[in-house]
Amino acid sequence: MKTYQLNSRCIPGAYQPAMALEFARGQDVDVSLLLKGMAWDEHSLRQPEALLSPAEHLQLLHNLAVALPGGDGAFLLGQGLLPGHLGALSHALLQATNLGQALELLQRYQAWLSPLLAPRLMRLGDETLLYWTDSCALPRQRAFLVEMMMAAVTGMARWLSGQRLPWRYTFNRTRPAHPEQYAVHLGSAVQFNAYLDAMAIDSHWLEQPWPRGNGAGVEMAVAAAEQELEGQPRRSLLTALHDHLLAHVRRPPGLEACADMLGMSPATLKRHLAQHGTHFQAELDQVRIHVTLQLIHNQGYSNERIAAYLGFHDANNFRRSFKRWTGLTPSMLRHQLQPDGLD
Amino acid sequence: MLLTCRRALMAMTLAALAFVFLYGSLGVYRPMEQWSWMDIVGEGGTALMSGFWAILILGSRPSGRVTLLLAGGLTAIMLGSWVDCLDEFFVIPKDQFWDNWLESLLTPGGMLILTSGLYFWRQEQWSLNEHMQKRERLFREHRAFDRVTQLANADYLRRQLQLEQERHPGSGALILLDLDQFHRVNREHGQQEGNRLLQAIAHLLLLNLRPEDLLCRYAGDRYAILLPESDLQEAAVWARHMQQSVAQLAHHTRSGIRLPITARVSWGSLEEAPEALLNRLDQALEAAPDFLPTHAALA
Repeated sequence: MKTYQLNSRCIPGAYQPAMALEFARGQDVDVSLLLKGMAWDEHSLRQPEALLSPAEHLQLLHNLAVALPGGDGAFLLGQGLLPGHLGALSHALLQATNLGQALELLQRYQAWLSPLLAPRLMRLGDETLLYWTDSCALPRQRAFLVEMMMAAVTGMARWLSGQRLPWRYTFNRTRPAHPEQYAVHLGSAVQFNAYLDAMAIDSHWLEQPWPRGNGAGVEMAVAAAEQELEGQPRRSLLTALHDHLLAHVRRPPGLEACADMLGMSPATLKRHLAQHGTHFQAELDQVRIHVTLQLIHNQGYSNERIAAYLGFHDANNFRRSFKRWTGLTPSMLRHQLQPDGLD
Repeated sequence: MLLTCRRALMAMTLAALAFVFLYGSLGVYRPMEQWSWMDIVGEGGTALMSGFWAILILGSRPSGRVTLLLAGGLTAIMLGSWVDCLDEFFVIPKDQFWDNWLESLLTPGGMLILTSGLYFWRQEQWSLNEHMQKRERLFREHRAFDRVTQLANADYLRRQLQLEQERHPGSGALILLDLDQFHRVNREHGQQEGNRLLQAIAHLLLLNLRPEDLLCRYAGDRYAILLPESDLQEAAVWARHMQQSVAQLAHHTRSGIRLPITARVSWGSLEEAPEALLNRLDQALEAAPDFLPTHAALA
């Protein structure tokens, strides 16, 4: 399976990196500061064939965050990021018939629309959760990227639906130095110190038709996008691994089998994971947590049944492991994600 | 900075070199055994630092009388110390007095000029404080100012709320004002137009405030107005007034398109803890309907 990693050249410079430069210029930041230490200048970056690596894009965003210390940079940049102007893909998003379709497109074409953070959808009871896992992010920049991508989806949904949607947000971080930025740009239904970086909304909002929606237009744009993007990697290494573990969570494959699926040696896979600041067991634990959440909510499974489902010896063993993964018991985590868990 | 005051830097270097030349041609070189290193370091260091301060002043202030006096005074002090320092390297024959005159004129003269500069600087500061009225109160924190609107940020506001509660417990009010559909201005007219609108609204609100009030940019397109020693009724009247003045504003983009602007407001008294009050006012703004009746439907 073809995947991209930190150093693969896969991010079209004329799209998100150029938007970051444009945004910086609007904020009176010297654009050459953003490209400091990189092989790109503004002209070469804007060429249609220019492809940046995720590492370079991360560096550019890091420079931007340093140049704009006010705490609003990620939100302001994010707000205009989607649908963007990435040719056919942006056309498809622009004509999405409803939120559900837009989120589905975002997830399917994440390598281009959100190359650094992987958007994932999860149904929890009557709610749909859009949560974000690392795709090519580095821990020190995760908070910035999460703010940016949540603002991007929020802004796109608000613009295309013509109204502010009642999202609820949870953040896997401590209370920030600038909580007012969250309140103004996202709304006051924001919770910190949560397990997931997620935005939740009642599922019926996914079906509400959008005024610009044009189903036939989406189909044509998607067909055109498929032609444009043929042969390019569609998932990052981390995302592909996460997907594979998710699909086989009941009998999780080992490191060797996963490396084989990704077409690389176990040592190479280990090295790549280390580059992203993670390791195989941490990825597997993360997948199990997400599955546990769904089993509790949607199937109403007890700890015993989840333990059996995930192949643990007994419920106590599972509870202990879960506490070790998240610092919470399964029921505490379930409570955190409920609407009334927000205060 | 070095670029902007290159000429001053060159003049200072030339003057310092001229003194070296003067001492070299009229004095006798002192052998190294007689050098007093303590004096050389002390006097040379004073000269270097004074020169550096002069450059800092020239590089950071608009030119004018105060700047000239401050930088000129520091330059004279620098040259005085430099002459002192050169004394350590050269012996001037006893029958010549010009070196004594140089030393005793340059340093005290420089100090006099610097003092007069500081005096006028104080006057200048008073008139600048008038400009900052309604943008800051009681204390200054230059890092708190927002780069777009030149208003103080939410951190500054929180400290002011706390300060006001300590100074006048049980009085004072806060208004939050949020522009409707501001995100569409950014999207449809570009971020620079969005920033221009934010600046225009900031000016408009400043004009509508009393001298003792404080306007902050809370975040994004949300402004906060602190009304010291006011009650809820007054706050309500002022909030409505601000809302109406925003609606009356005929704001145009650079390309001449009229942007109809409306705003939502919420207000409360300072009896609550600052964080709780801000949360409540944020939520009240979200509950208010957010639409522009005159804005064309999505095209």
